[in-house]
Amino acid sequence: MGIKTSNEKFFDRVEKGINDSFMRKAVVEAQGRLEGRKTQTTEELGNWEDWRDLAEEIRQHTLENLDYYLEQFVENVSNQGGHVFFAETAEEANEYITSVVKDKKAKNIIKSKSMVTEEIGMNGALEEIGCNVVESDLGEWILQLDDHDPPSHIVVPALHKNKEQIRDTFKVKRQYDKSSDPTELALFAREQLRKDFLAAEVGITGCNFAVAESGSITLVTNEGNARMSTTLPKTQITVMGMERIVPTWKELDILVSMLCRSAVGQKLTSYITGLTAAKEEGDVDGPEEFHVVIIDNGRSKILGTKFQSTLQCIRCAACINVCPVYRHVGGHSYGSIYPGPIGAVLTPLLEGYDDYKELPYASTLCAACTEACPVKIPLHELLIEHRKDIVEEAGKTSFAEKLAMKGYAFAMSNPGVYRIGSKAAPSVIGPIAKGGEGKGPGPVKLWTQIRDLPEPTGESFRKWFEGRDKKGDKS
Amino acid sequence: MKVSLFLTCLADVVYPASVGRSTVEILERLGCEVDFPKKQTCCGQPAFNSGFHKESREVAKHMIKTFESAEYVVSPSGSCTSMLHEYEKLFEDDLEWQVKAKELAKKSYELTQFIVDVLKIEDVGAEFNGNVTYHTSCHMTRLLGVKEAPMKLLENVKGLKFTELPFKQQCCGFGGTFSVKMVPISEQMVNEKVHHIEETEAEVLIGADLGCLMNIGGRIDRQGKSVKVMHIAEILNSRGEAG
Amino acid sequence: MTKGTVQNKDKFLNKIAKRLGRERRNSGVKLPEWAKLPQYEVFKDFSQDELMEQFINHCKNIHTSVKVTKKESLKETFHEAISDLGGKSIVYWNDDRFRYYGLTDALYEARAHHNIDVHCWNPQLGEENVKVAEKANIGITFADISLAESGTVVLFSNADKGRSVSLLPRTYLAIIPKSTLVPRMTQATEKIHKMASDLGRMPSCINFISGPSNSADIELRLVVGVHGPVQAIYIVIEDE
Repeated sequence: MGIKTSNEKFFDRVEKGINDSFMRKAVVEAQGRLEGRKTQTTEELGNWEDWRDLAEEIRQHTLENLDYYLEQFVENVSNQGGHVFFAETAEEANEYITSVVKDKKAKNIIKSKSMVTEEIGMNGALEEIGCNVVESDLGEWILQLDDHDPPSHIVVPALHKNKEQIRDTFKVKRQYDKSSDPTELALFAREQLRKDFLAAEVGITGCNFAVAESGSITLVTNEGNARMSTTLPKTQITVMGMERIVPTWKELDILVSMLCRSAVGQKLTSYITGLTAAKEEGDVDGPEEFHVVIIDNGRSKILGTKFQSTLQCIRCAACINVCPVYRHVGGHSYGSIYPGPIGAVLTPLLEGYDDYKELPYASTLCAACTEACPVKIPLHELLIEHRKDIVEEAGKTSFAEKLAMKGYAFAMSNPGVYRIGSKAAPSVIGPIAKGGEGKGPGPVKLWTQIRDLPEPTGESFRKWFEGRDKKGDKS
Repeated sequence: MKVSLFLTCLADVVYPASVGRSTVEILERLGCEVDFPKKQTCCGQPAFNSGFHKESREVAKHMIKTFESAEYVVSPSGSCTSMLHEYEKLFEDDLEWQVKAKELAKKSYELTQFIVDVLKIEDVGAEFNGNVTYHTSCHMTRLLGVKEAPMKLLENVKGLKFTELPFKQQCCGFGGTFSVKMVPISEQMVNEKVHHIEETEAEVLIGADLGCLMNIGGRIDRQGKSVKVMHIAEILNSRGEAG
Repeated sequence: MTKGTVQNKDKFLNKIAKRLGRERRNSGVKLPEWAKLPQYEVFKDFSQDELMEQFINHCKNIHTSVKVTKKESLKETFHEAISDLGGKSIVYWNDDRFRYYGLTDALYEARAHHNIDVHCWNPQLGEENVKVAEKANIGITFADISLAESGTVVLFSNADKGRSVSLLPRTYLAIIPKSTLVPRMTQATEKIHKMASDLGRMPSCINFISGPSNSADIELRLVVGVHGPVQAIYIVIEDE
C-alpha cells in the first residue's frame, strides 16, 4: 500500500469524512474513551510530567546516538544467530523479505500489526510472489478482508467501521452466518485465524522497541496475535523503523509504560513479549530462524534537522485521540497511513509536500497534541515549522497569500498605515457583518461563508480613551 | 502600579470599545495606572502561525519597541499574550533582539493572570446576574499555561450562575487563518462548540480571547441563536447588569 | 552458535552519523544520569502484603480472578481453579516448582479421579507438545516475577517452559508465589537487565502477561478472548 492511501484531493477527502456520520460518531466515542482512560491512568501516577520528561530524555539520547545503539543491537542479534538487514528504501526491504520467504519456499505468511510494513507496502510485494499473507490483528484482518480498506487510526485501524459492516464483510468473504455482536465476530476471527497461525511457515512482526543491550525485540499487544506469530511459524521476520530502539531493558520499562498508558489507558497491555533471536537449542516452540529488517525509508532525512524530535514518536496515537480536527474529518482525510497530528508532521517529511502540502495547515494549533504526547514532541510547533518551510523553501504558498502577508507585516509595523486600515474597517465590515454569506474581500469572504462578523457599532476604544484623557475623568 | 495595555488588533479594529474599556476600568479600580501606547498594532501571530517568520519579525520588533518602557504589559487575550512569549524564538539568530524579546515576555500578562498572579486579587467586586458558561481558549490554557485564574475570578462574581461547558478542552475551530483556510473543518468544529454551549442552557458565553469569541459568536449569530457572547473583562467590570 | 549475517550495516550507520553531523560512534557512549526517576516512586517501600493487595485489586480491572491460598491448602485451591476453568485437559510446564509445591500430586489426582488429560511439557516429544497445547483446555505455568501495579506475571521460556503453554490452550492458570511480587515492571526489567549484562544470553522469549487476551478493535467494545486464552485465573501462594 505504501504511505499514501488515496489519490483524491485533500478537500474531497475531507468532505467525504465530514459526511460519514457513522465514522464521526465512532471517532468522537473513541476519542472520549481512549483519552478518558489515558487521563485516568496517567493522573493516578501523580507525577506524569516527570515520566514525560524522562521518556523525552531517553528518546533524545537514543536518537543522538542512534548509530551506536543500532550497532550494539545488531551485534547482539547476530551473535545469537539472528540475521540483520539494513534497508535504506522500501524496495530494498521488500527485496530482502521476499528473498527470505522464497528461500524457505513459504506460501503462508502470518503477520501481526505493524505500521512500518504498511509503510513499505510489504504485503503487496509478498502477494506478487504468490504468498498468502494474513493479517492477524483483528482490526487489520477486518480491513484486509474488506478489499484492503486503509487503516484510519494507528492503534485502532478499523475504527471507521461499524459492527454491521464488519458482519457483512465476514459474511461475503468467509460465509459467516452469526450476529453482529462483537464477541461473536471476534470468536469467529479467532477460529478462522487459528488455522492460519498453524499453517504459516513465516511469521512477520513489527517492533515496538528493540533493546540494544541484548539484541531483543519487544511486541506490545492485547490480542496475543504477536505471540502467535512468533511461537508457531518456523521463521520469524521482524521489520522495524530504525528509530525504534532503546539502550537497555531499564529504558524499555519507561517507554513501554508510556506506550500502554498513552495508547489505551492500560498499565500494561495483556501481552508484552521480549524476543531474543531464534529459539534456543532444545526449545520446542518459537522460530528456528530469526531475521530483523531495519528500515530507513526517509527517516535519516529527518535526523539532524529541526524535525528530529518527530523520530521520538512511539506510535501511541495519543495526539490523534485528542485532535479536534481528526475528530471531525477522520483518518482517511489525511491521505496517509499516519493520520492526525503526528501524521500531519511525519507524512510530509517522509513523502514531501507535493501530495501533502495541506496537512500542516489542517490544524488550529490548539496544542492538544503537544500536551498529550508522552515523549514531548512539540507537534504544533513542528506544524508551524512545516508552514515556514512551505513559505520559505518549497515556495508552495500562493502569490496572493505572500502579498497579503507582506502587506500585513507592513501595516502592523507602521502604525500610521495600521490606523488608516483600522479606521476603514467598520465601513468594510458594516454592510456584511450580518448574514453577508460569502461576501467581502479575501479572507472576509471566506469567513462569512459560515459566520457573521461582529457589528461595528459604538465608538472605538481609541476614541473612548482619547476622549477620557481630554476630560481627565479617570474613575 | 503602572500598566501598559496591549489591546490586541481585534479589540482595536474589529470590536467596539467595550472590551478595552472594561479592561482599563477594572485595572484602574484595582489601583493600577493604565496607559495605552498608541503605536501598538498586532502581536504578529497571523504571520507567525502561517510560517511567514520574516514578516512576523518585523511586527515583533515594532511591538517590542512600542512596549519597551512599559513596567507591565497587560492584554485581554491569552492567545496574543502567548504570542509575545514566542518572540524569543523568532530571534534565535539575533541576540540583541532576543534579549529584548525576553524582557517583553517577562513583563507581559494576560488580564486575569495579571489580576490573580501579580495583583494577588481574586475578587474584583463584580456582579453579573445570569446563567453563564466559559470557553477555555487553547492558547491561553496550553501555551500560556493559564488555567485557574479566570475561574477563580468568575467564582467571586456575584449573581453568576455558572455551568461548566462540556468538552471545554476542545478547540472552537478558530485557529487564526485556519478559520478561513479550512472553512469546512472549522465549520464542524464551531458547530460542535455551539452545540455544547446550548447544552449548558447558558444565556451568556464568556471567553478570554476575542478570536474564539468572534468565531463562536459569529456562528451563533449566523445560526440565529440567542446566546450572547461576552469577554471576561466585560463580566469582571459589571456591577449588577443582567446578561 | 554460528553468527548470523548482517548486511549493509556500515553504509546505513555512516549515513546516520553524517546526518547527525559527526563521526560514527562505536564506543564511549554512556547512558546519562536521568534527571528524573519517577518509576521508583510507585509502591515505594510497600510490604509484600501491600503489594499483594494492589495486585489483587488491579486484577479486577483485567478480567482475572485471583485465589489466595497457603501452601497447605494449595492443592484444594488448585482443584477449585481447574474446575472453574472447566477441567477436561491440562498442559503445564516441566518446572520443579510444581513438585516443590505439591502440585504434581494434584495433577496426578486430576488425571486419576477427574478424568482430565494432563500433559507435562516435554522437550523430548518435540512438536507433539505444541499439538497437545493447541487442543488443551487449560495451560498452567508458574510466574517467574509478578508485578503488583499491572496484575502481570512474567514468564521466562526455555526448553522445559514452552511458550505455547500460556498461549494456545483455551484458558490460562498462573501460580504465583507471593515472594515473586515486585511493585512494577521496573523491578522486573532491572533483573532482566542484569541477566543481559551478566550472562550475555537471555531467555529467547520473555512474556509479560496481564490477564486473558482481549480486543477492542470492533467499535471499541471490549471482547475478552481473542487469539490467546479467553479466561485467566491466578493463584497466589502465601509462601512467606
